[in-house]
Amino acid sequence: MLLYVLKRLALSIVIVMLAVTALFCMIHLVPGDPARILLGPRATPELIASMSTRMGLDLPLPVQILRFFGNLFTGDLGMDIITNRPVADIVFNQLPYTLWLIFSAILFAALIGIPLGCYSALHRNTWADRVTGILSVGCITAPAFVVALYSLLIFAVTLHWFPAVGAGDKGDFRDQAAHLVLPAFAIGLSWIGYLSRLVRASMLEVMGENHIRTARAYGLPERTVVYRYALKLAVLPTVTVIGVGMGFLLSAALFTEIVFARPGIGKLIFDSITTRNYPVVMGSVLISTILFVISTTVSDLVNAWLDPRIRAAL
Amino acid sequence: MARSQDKGGAVIDILKRIIHEPLGFLGLILVTLIVISAVLASVISPYDPIALNIVDRLQGPSSRHLLGTDQLGRDLFSRVLFGGQVALKVALVSISVALGIGVLLGMLAGFGPKWLDNIIMLFFDTIRSFPTVMFALATVALVGPSLGTVIAVIIVTSIPNYGRVVRTQTLTIKSNQFIMAERAMGVSTRRILFVHILPNVIGPLIILASMDIPTVIALEAGLSFLGMGVKPPTPSWGSILNDGYTLIRNTPWPIIAGSIPLLLITLGFTFLGESLRDLIDPKLRKGI
Amino acid sequence: MKNTKHSTIPATDTDRRDFLKTSGVLGLAALTGASEIVFAQDKKILKIRTYADMRSLDPAYSQGVVDEEIQSSIYSKLIQYKPGREWGYVLDAAESIEQADDTHIKFRLKPGIMFTGGFGEMTAEDVKYSYERILDESLESTNTPDWGSLKEVTVESKYEGAIVFNDPYPPAWNIALPYIVGNIISKKAWEEAGGKVDTTTPCASGPYMHHEWQPKQKTILVRNPDWHGGDAAFDEIHIFPIDDENTAQIAYESGDIDCTRISLGSVSNLKDSPPDNSTIEEYPSLYYVWVGMNVENETMANANLRKAIQHCIDVPSILQASYFGAAEPSTGIIAPGLIGHRPQGMVPPEMNIEKAREYLAAADLSDGVSVTLDILNKSANVTTAQVVQATCAQVGISVEVNLHESGAFWSLGDSSAGERYKDIQLILNRYSMAPDPSYATAWFVTSQKGIWNWERYSDPQFDELEATAKATSDPAQRDEMYRKMQDMMEESGAYRFITHEATPVIYRNTINPAFRPDGLPLLRSFGAAG
Repeated sequence: MLLYVLKRLALSIVIVMLAVTALFCMIHLVPGDPARILLGPRATPELIASMSTRMGLDLPLPVQILRFFGNLFTGDLGMDIITNRPVADIVFNQLPYTLWLIFSAILFAALIGIPLGCYSALHRNTWADRVTGILSVGCITAPAFVVALYSLLIFAVTLHWFPAVGAGDKGDFRDQAAHLVLPAFAIGLSWIGYLSRLVRASMLEVMGENHIRTARAYGLPERTVVYRYALKLAVLPTVTVIGVGMGFLLSAALFTEIVFARPGIGKLIFDSITTRNYPVVMGSVLISTILFVISTTVSDLVNAWLDPRIRAAL
Repeated sequence: MARSQDKGGAVIDILKRIIHEPLGFLGLILVTLIVISAVLASVISPYDPIALNIVDRLQGPSSRHLLGTDQLGRDLFSRVLFGGQVALKVALVSISVALGIGVLLGMLAGFGPKWLDNIIMLFFDTIRSFPTVMFALATVALVGPSLGTVIAVIIVTSIPNYGRVVRTQTLTIKSNQFIMAERAMGVSTRRILFVHILPNVIGPLIILASMDIPTVIALEAGLSFLGMGVKPPTPSWGSILNDGYTLIRNTPWPIIAGSIPLLLITLGFTFLGESLRDLIDPKLRKGI
Repeated sequence: MKNTKHSTIPATDTDRRDFLKTSGVLGLAALTGASEIVFAQDKKILKIRTYADMRSLDPAYSQGVVDEEIQSSIYSKLIQYKPGREWGYVLDAAESIEQADDTHIKFRLKPGIMFTGGFGEMTAEDVKYSYERILDESLESTNTPDWGSLKEVTVESKYEGAIVFNDPYPPAWNIALPYIVGNIISKKAWEEAGGKVDTTTPCASGPYMHHEWQPKQKTILVRNPDWHGGDAAFDEIHIFPIDDENTAQIAYESGDIDCTRISLGSVSNLKDSPPDNSTIEEYPSLYYVWVGMNVENETMANANLRKAIQHCIDVPSILQASYFGAAEPSTGIIAPGLIGHRPQGMVPPEMNIEKAREYLAAADLSDGVSVTLDILNKSANVTTAQVVQATCAQVGISVEVNLHESGAFWSLGDSSAGERYKDIQLILNRYSMAPDPSYATAWFVTSQKGIWNWERYSDPQFDELEATAKATSDPAQRDEMYRKMQDMMEESGAYRFITHEATPVIYRNTINPAFRPDGLPLLRSFGAAG
């Protein structure tokens, strides 16, 4: 088990480094001079050249990549030339907003999606199951930006239940929580669909397996079989999907943060890519890739630890 | 000959069984309907999807314009029909290319030497570690927004999904006694791959792919929302949604017109795919 | 002991009563959803939107209107833009200011203007430092061009000085003194900070002070108790960066902000059924939108083809489709209300198929031709491009539209970044500007080829006029020169002018806003109504 964990971690580090190098190469092929875009229309060619030098953009690409990783080991993600702040500060300032958003979206989706899936599985092929099925798949379809916009119109503008934009006042927990509701709903809605379909499918599968049949044969009440045994196993794939779905969650967060004018890592990445603010692009991509790799690794490990079938195979 | 007849029989058999499954049947109908309406768009459409008529702009639904008109007075119903062509084109081209490459890499990883397996898996994991939209943003910035770019992004990001499934399947089949015996007898690797392994992995893959179609179409819509999808004036559901987003305070119809087909096609392919999976290979999900 | 006890008990009682009262009010407020009102009684807060996040609090590194909105609230200038419908200025730190001769502007500061943070009184020395540092090459300020031919500032006494130019520079009154480079900072404070500042500032001298920046979320300004102009109207100003106009309008309607620019598409709906207690005003804007044509491109080098395209583009249709009929056609690059505005262009806004066909025949292209149109991927541009596409198709010009995201778009014509600048044929472009005609024409001279002059238009006579007009003091003469320059641009066929857009704003009647004539907010002059 320990060896497995170590191997998994080593692999994760290699993946992160490869991903960042790939992105580094890619954005340096992209047209658009960062110095020129950052400085705006009034910059003279001389100013642009001097800015490029300060950003290290005149160096050969391999040198830039090596420098990036070299600095990384000292915990330095570079400086944002425009606001003159360390990139690490910028990224870690924005990161919590996105983490909270993703966490609440998943929590919300799990609270509704998992019971819905169970219900469907237990009432397989009834009309209730089919209606739930159509509703869940309908939820999956709804693009986050459309849900975001309509929930804004309904719950913020018409009903005044929740605030519309931003992330709330610093230090005011209730205000921040209120600002989280609609964005989390916008991201979580499609996950209700995913999770309920997933739980339904794995529930059906688990219910057919030997030990559940055995439990039934022993005459345990159906409720106990479902909630003590089957559900526990059926939720396992959910953990994996959430882990792997981190990429989708980050993408959905990007749309939602744009529509709700919320701070966060998705918006940071979008803004910095379109303004070619390379130090910030690299820093924020690095962090979100790490986030993604951590979440897949953790979900793998949790899965291995929870599921006796996988644990035995290790 | 006998073999292909068997296959044909199996397909009909599966279709028959799907028809008896209400959701699967619904899926089949929806998919057929959308495919037909997209293919016959130029026959069914009441208007030219790109003809401007600024006087009649931003109208609600009426007997003349079933789904109303957009900011340029173009008939939204016609645009939705033609948008189906774009959606299907994106889905078919990108998924089949991704399938092809995924199958090849997956079989190589499963059948080839360990070092090759490691490299390919590392490649898959690296691609998967980018959030899709971010990857798309960088690519679009690199080559400019167009249908081709969207297709390329989808191909690259979906190769690992198929590749991993194929690899797992290949590994399982490889350890099969029959294959081991063939290898011992000196049958070429190519023959083993294409005669024995490929037919066994292709079925499950097609089911997987059919369930990916809605995801792919939704991604196209998302990219168009960020202004990074198809070139105007090509109608696509994503660009209709994008217009609708801008116009949301004026009229809800473009958003409704753009989301209905998206909803229907997702429902269709998901139900069809799920019931196919339940019929053919209930264990498939584990490979994903 | 006893005394102490006695004196504390009533105090505690009052506290408790107050507490009960307050919590009762709060509870009631929470029930009725009127919590804002309670807070409003505590503090007067102005909540306003900008389209982007702030980037710098140093005038040398200000990135335009977003930074200037904040800087003009926390720093003083000799003069400020006058709120209202016509361009003009009002005195701020200056007690008096005058154009002494063509190259000298004399000023006298009001005595007793204090910098916060203990940096003392504002003197002519600070004015000299603030203006001259913009010219300092080692500082690499992007705003240097705004000062034109500034030579130096001479200090005549503690409060008096003169701004000296090498050549006459009339734009100083329009885009330097009341704008970004006109902000006066404390020499002492800046020298202590090492010559420049970034996102914090050591001192203020305006009605507000910078309190906090929460990146991508908001900027908070608080009232400066020591402001020389009296008491600012609000205890705090919260500035929210919201780039999307739909979202901004939703934020307004849900009560999160008190004032915002709205999209042109919403104007008529909002006017028909305005939200409660709100006012909508429409201001013209200084932006200029045009379709440019690359005169050096092989296909577009044909002047008759360019003229055919000028006549193929139907501006009224574009204004209907992309700007919801809320904007007017433009006659050039200089907006109404400014020196040099042309009341009429040469090519009428409406398309003229016959003329277009004539020019096309003269270009020997009657059989049709294909061109590309590069645009930024914003919704209005996409709509405009499709109108252009449709009308051009009527005479046999087929237009392929290339979308670009902002990073790629803004480097399209950059000749230092690859060869793409040669392939550009048609470009749909939109530049912003400050209220002086020289700011608009500066981008179209020969030396800007490959920088911002993407049409690669070049005419020695134009270059000469541009240089002369900038240094001409007589408004009538300037007016004539700038008109002539726009005539030349249009005659070259390289430009089809579309519109200056418009700036509709909405605000709550609880505030008394102040806008520049182009609809940009002047936060320092905002008041509370009633």
